[in-house]
Amino acid sequence: MSKFEPNIVAFLCNWCSYAGADLTGTTRTHYPPNVKVIRVMCTGRVNPLFLVQSLRQGADGVLISGCHPGECHYLKGNYLARRRFLLMKNLLEFIGINPERIRMSWVSASEGKKFADVITDVTQEIKKIGPLKHFKKEIL
Amino acid sequence: MNIQKLKDEAKRALGRKEVKYLIGYQKGSYGFRVSPVFLESKEELDLLTFSPLCTISLPNYLTLEADLIQPKDAKKAKATKIALFARGCDSRALNQIMAEKGIPRDKLYIIGIPCNGVIDLKKIEARFPGVVDLAEVVEENGKYIITINNQSHEVPKEELIADTCKVCQYPTPLISNKLLGDKVEGSPANYDDIQSLEEQSPEEKWDFWQEHFERCIRCYACKNSCPLCYCEGCILDKLNPQWIRRSVDTSENLLFHITRAFHLAGRCISCGECERVCPMDIPLMKLNKKMEKDVKELFDYEAGKDHESKPLLTTFNLEDPDDFVL
Repeated sequence: MSKFEPNIVAFLCNWCSYAGADLTGTTRTHYPPNVKVIRVMCTGRVNPLFLVQSLRQGADGVLISGCHPGECHYLKGNYLARRRFLLMKNLLEFIGINPERIRMSWVSASEGKKFADVITDVTQEIKKIGPLKHFKKEIL
Repeated sequence: MNIQKLKDEAKRALGRKEVKYLIGYQKGSYGFRVSPVFLESKEELDLLTFSPLCTISLPNYLTLEADLIQPKDAKKAKATKIALFARGCDSRALNQIMAEKGIPRDKLYIIGIPCNGVIDLKKIEARFPGVVDLAEVVEENGKYIITINNQSHEVPKEELIADTCKVCQYPTPLISNKLLGDKVEGSPANYDDIQSLEEQSPEEKWDFWQEHFERCIRCYACKNSCPLCYCEGCILDKLNPQWIRRSVDTSENLLFHITRAFHLAGRCISCGECERVCPMDIPLMKLNKKMEKDVKELFDYEAGKDHESKPLLTTFNLEDPDDFVL
């Protein structure tokens, strides 16, 4: 069997995490290539259903990353997101999805190193859990 | 509940010039069925009924107002208020709808009825199968006296009462213009069955839910009977983007149930109507109760407690738990 390479979808906020990811690249820091980045304007813009849809359409894990609390470009987007994703994570856990598949992180624009660490951590964790078998959309 | 007292109060409410119509219950067409009724004048009062069979959530019909036939009487058509009966759970639904600015407080005239629990239609139909003629049910001293074809049967309350009513926290209406009868004490919150499911392994949980979600036929009865599902543009009807396809397979069904449970997070008032109307016996209240439990433990919030506080997911607290964030 070939080695399992997880498929991770990351929703990054334009103002902090996306810039942080950019910094990771410009400083030539290495991180696993398993992550597919989707830029959003704010973590508050991410509908919790995006997360479910990602998992259904082939992702093994989802990462939502935004500004640190109190540093949101739109003042409170990340606070609202924090509530939502905690609830959604608990709901999915209740249904039988491993909660490690849904991760959230605060990465600011200057934390290029932290971004690489987060991606490494998430990728290793999901490699350990293995692919998401159930839950997938059957016909595309 | 004394039916005469109820009719007197309904009469007084209809007598008010600002009340357009009154929403109550009337006898159904067969068996143990009950249907909602919209009364415009005092002459129609005889239609009114109230019994433990009245499980339908009346706040459901408030948000349909635009679709309803307007009163023939010109004066009544101009009136602004809607009167309705509300038990504990209904009053919480009203509170929640008002908090979400779904309907203004001054449009409602609420007649509160302290509730002793309703009968689960599935349970009573299993006990008395194939009843065609209208049956009557009266509650007396912890027993239901059921009259079918002039024959009366006594059944202990415990056997027929709906599961959600057994653990109802707020049987007395939290908001009302007029409260009929004495207050009823609620029972403390009980999440034992949720906890026992939570403690199982992910595989066990998945097996449990998959078996149920596979059976779902997506009739949307749960959505239609829910007093809090009143959005005009429902995500389920949306074609562009189409979030949920119409086909019935486990994956789509699962998405539907996740969506439904999540949209009720911090809003569900535990009336249990979704589970009672489900033709496939899917334990929907387990999902709702799980959300209710989390919301209570994590954010110290309960849906429908008053009509002025802000809805859960539109606010935040700086001290919200964030130990799951990297």
